[in-house]
Amino acid sequence: MKKEIAVYIHIPFCKQICPYCDFCKVFYEKGLVEKYLKALEEEIIETYQKEKVKTIYIGGGTPSHLTCLELERLFQILTLFQKKDSIEYTVECNPEDLCEEKLLLFKKYGINRISIGIETTIEKFQKKIKRVISKEEIRKKVELVKKVGFSNINVDLIYAFQGETEEDLQEDLNFLMSLNVPHISLYSLQIEKHTQFGYQKEKKIDPSLDRDLYDFLCNFLEEKGYQHYEISNFAKKGFFSSHNLVYWNNQEYYGFGAGASFYKDGIRGHHTRSVYQYIQEKKVIEEEKLGEEEKMDYFLLLGLRKEEGIGKREFFFRYQKKLKEVYSFDSYLKQGVLEEEGDFIRIAKEYRYVMNTILVTLLNSRKSS
Amino acid sequence: MKQENIRAFSIIAHIDHGKSTLADRILEKTGAVSQREAKEQLLDSMELERERGITIKLNAVELSYQYENEDYLLSLIDTPGHVDFSYEVSRSLAACEGALLVVDATQGIEAQTLANLYLALENHLVVLPVINKIDLPSADIEKVEKELENLGFDQNDILKVSAKTGEGCDALMDAIIKKIPAPKGKSNHPLSALIFDSHYDSYRGVGISVRIVEGTLKKKDLIYMMDTKASYEVTSLFIHTPKEKEVSVLKTGEVGVVYAAIKKIEDVHVGDTLTIKDHPCLKPLPGYRRVKSMVYAGIYPMDTSKFEELREALMKLKLNDAALTFEPETSLALGFGFRCGFLGLLHMEIIEERIRREAGIEILTTTPSVIYQCKLATLEEISIDAPYKMPDKTLIKEIREPIVKASIYTPKAYIGEVMKLVQEKRGKFLNLSYLDQERVILEYDLPLSEIVFDFFDRLKSSTKGYASFDYEFKCFSPSDLVKVDILINKEVVDALSFIVHKDFAYQRGRKIVERLQKLIPRQLFEIPVQASIGNKVIARCDIKALRKDVLAKCYGGDITRKKKLLEKQKEGKKRMKQIGSVELPQEAFMSVLKMEKDE
Repeated sequence: MKKEIAVYIHIPFCKQICPYCDFCKVFYEKGLVEKYLKALEEEIIETYQKEKVKTIYIGGGTPSHLTCLELERLFQILTLFQKKDSIEYTVECNPEDLCEEKLLLFKKYGINRISIGIETTIEKFQKKIKRVISKEEIRKKVELVKKVGFSNINVDLIYAFQGETEEDLQEDLNFLMSLNVPHISLYSLQIEKHTQFGYQKEKKIDPSLDRDLYDFLCNFLEEKGYQHYEISNFAKKGFFSSHNLVYWNNQEYYGFGAGASFYKDGIRGHHTRSVYQYIQEKKVIEEEKLGEEEKMDYFLLLGLRKEEGIGKREFFFRYQKKLKEVYSFDSYLKQGVLEEEGDFIRIAKEYRYVMNTILVTLLNSRKSS
Repeated sequence: MKQENIRAFSIIAHIDHGKSTLADRILEKTGAVSQREAKEQLLDSMELERERGITIKLNAVELSYQYENEDYLLSLIDTPGHVDFSYEVSRSLAACEGALLVVDATQGIEAQTLANLYLALENHLVVLPVINKIDLPSADIEKVEKELENLGFDQNDILKVSAKTGEGCDALMDAIIKKIPAPKGKSNHPLSALIFDSHYDSYRGVGISVRIVEGTLKKKDLIYMMDTKASYEVTSLFIHTPKEKEVSVLKTGEVGVVYAAIKKIEDVHVGDTLTIKDHPCLKPLPGYRRVKSMVYAGIYPMDTSKFEELREALMKLKLNDAALTFEPETSLALGFGFRCGFLGLLHMEIIEERIRREAGIEILTTTPSVIYQCKLATLEEISIDAPYKMPDKTLIKEIREPIVKASIYTPKAYIGEVMKLVQEKRGKFLNLSYLDQERVILEYDLPLSEIVFDFFDRLKSSTKGYASFDYEFKCFSPSDLVKVDILINKEVVDALSFIVHKDFAYQRGRKIVERLQKLIPRQLFEIPVQASIGNKVIARCDIKALRKDVLAKCYGGDITRKKKLLEKQKEGKKRMKQIGSVELPQEAFMSVLKMEKDE
């Protein structure tokens, strides 16, 4: 049996540049898209080793901003992949781009998951991030998506804006509930260095307030029947994102396109973030070739993001070592920071938001063989 | 050299009053070095000395000088300028017949100069007063003359020079020849030589700087040191001109360096009397005492694996510095290190600096503590050189702390400030006397521990830098002292314990816990930081639990970045000390320890 793999496709084109975004992106430019898609096609042909593909995720940038013609060209290219029948096939969309024509095109090419970047429904914060759209407009768009026949829908939301209160967050969440989508990603706003917010030295919210908001939203969503399956991700049963779980399960994935990261054949790396350089030479930057120890570290630091934590059997299966003999969990287990249930070790709910501190201690405890 | 043509003298001066420049000038006058050869301040040979502009180790040079067609031998014996080394100063003065008292024309007399002048007078030296830096526009020669007259000098004897330009230096040379007496020792008596310094040479062993008081010393003589009772055969004798020159004999009144393949510097004590084993002098030279460490601190390697390297570094330093003591100690908080004894704070700083510089080891020094005497309920007497070693107070009958006699020399405008400060520091007033119309000497009994705490800096800041200060050990005296422990997450951190007078315990305890609260990063749990005396908590602050430390978003592109972030956090953690379940940054230790100086 051939190995199964996940595929990430990066489409860096945007109508406008959001002040918080640190992904690889450029302003949409017709001539450039054509060349870019050509380079993408070449790269896939050169690199793809015909594995069965279990997930495809088209992210950006703003993939939904491409024209129907360009999208059709893109989807055509992606037919190069041998898809599993049960494939999860996602496209990231901005709500204003959603129209029946594009949605039908998605359907035609087997896309079965739509991820909508709403970010916030509160006007003052929308203005701050230059993403103004009314609640009514959003509601119409989401209903359209459902009408065309998509049931697996994700909505992205950002919280912890400077000045945000629990009431603001409540308003966002209430609206979200009325949309009735099965998957929600909620991120605390990060101010990244090379973004407009970074250059403007936009202030971060007080970490203690951030935590209060986080606790609030976790409780709220859990009450509404969403499972908090990863630090920033919530979903109804059966709607966990298979593609993102590939990352958190420390499995390998292809990354195609400018800026796209990959983890393939034990190597983690990424492509040049320059769209022009990508078109010219599809430059790849290898960051690290992982040894067994690094692989184990990644297994731990990614796996503990999940609510279920990490599996001891899975660890042994992959690395032929006993998890508890490689890292010491004892004092954290005793303190109740970590919990052990059956095969799994996980971070107790109360400590998930301070997991870096825990990870550092665990990684430091690794016994070298 | 004829004994009557020998002149041995020292230079007494406050830091920066131009002692070394004057010494350079004398070297030039005698032709020992040309002006071009003269590196600035030739006598200060240690790198650290040059940088700090102070003399730590003594040096002596033998200079030949022609005066009125007679050959003379001038022995210039250098002295360290700091209060910590006053015993060494007294011994080097004892090796002389005369001293130049150098006073900066722009500054006037300082407390240390005065202290050393008294040492010179106690040793019956002929003192030549010298006003230096007369070339400076800000020189106030008349005022300094007055000060010197008030000390009992005759105005006609005061020499005025500029060591920088050379002005007045010929007259100075004349005065050295004419006024400083020749040594009076009997050359036909059994050998008695004063040890006034020692250093370690990795090829020849310990080099002993001696002044021959009576008799003669030759190569191959079997020497005997009267206090340590050590005996060795002389392998070589040298003088410094200032270049090293081997000689076969040292005669009465001469100064030189003796090598006898001595490997243990403990065998050589400054102040001890060196004689001939089979033909000893009747009694040792007067004034000898063993130096005792007064200030103790723990020195720990930052990197715990460097413990052995640190031991080697300390052993190497000890070879050159008999006053340094050390023995291994273990701290629950800091691991393995050494409890080190020093003459005083400057001595401690110099040792710290030399470990860093010469051995390249990063170290952490705990709060310095003085030595306490403790009478137990069982009437047993013990010495306590580290706060954590203090027994439970129910077991103690009496604690005694070292008291020093402090002389503070200040313009009279600051008398009020100084008195306030000294009172706060538990000083007991002894005496106030006017040196001239402007300046006074205040004398106090002061607990040494208060000086260790932050006295120097406070004195300087409350007198705008004008006051100077000197002290000498006086006695041990009973005092109402308590040990304050610092508890982090309810566990005592031994390295942070301190001993303090009962009246200050609350205030100091409060300060330290507040400081720690700021320094210790938030952790997974809330952590109480407490100061306590025995079981009684006197101050408490809580470090709130960490609330957010997470990378919110972690998808394909964030993974390597997340790992790098954690690696960085891991690096930071390496500098942490684990105390029970709490992690303390080493910086926190240092800042807490250093705080005592800047607050």
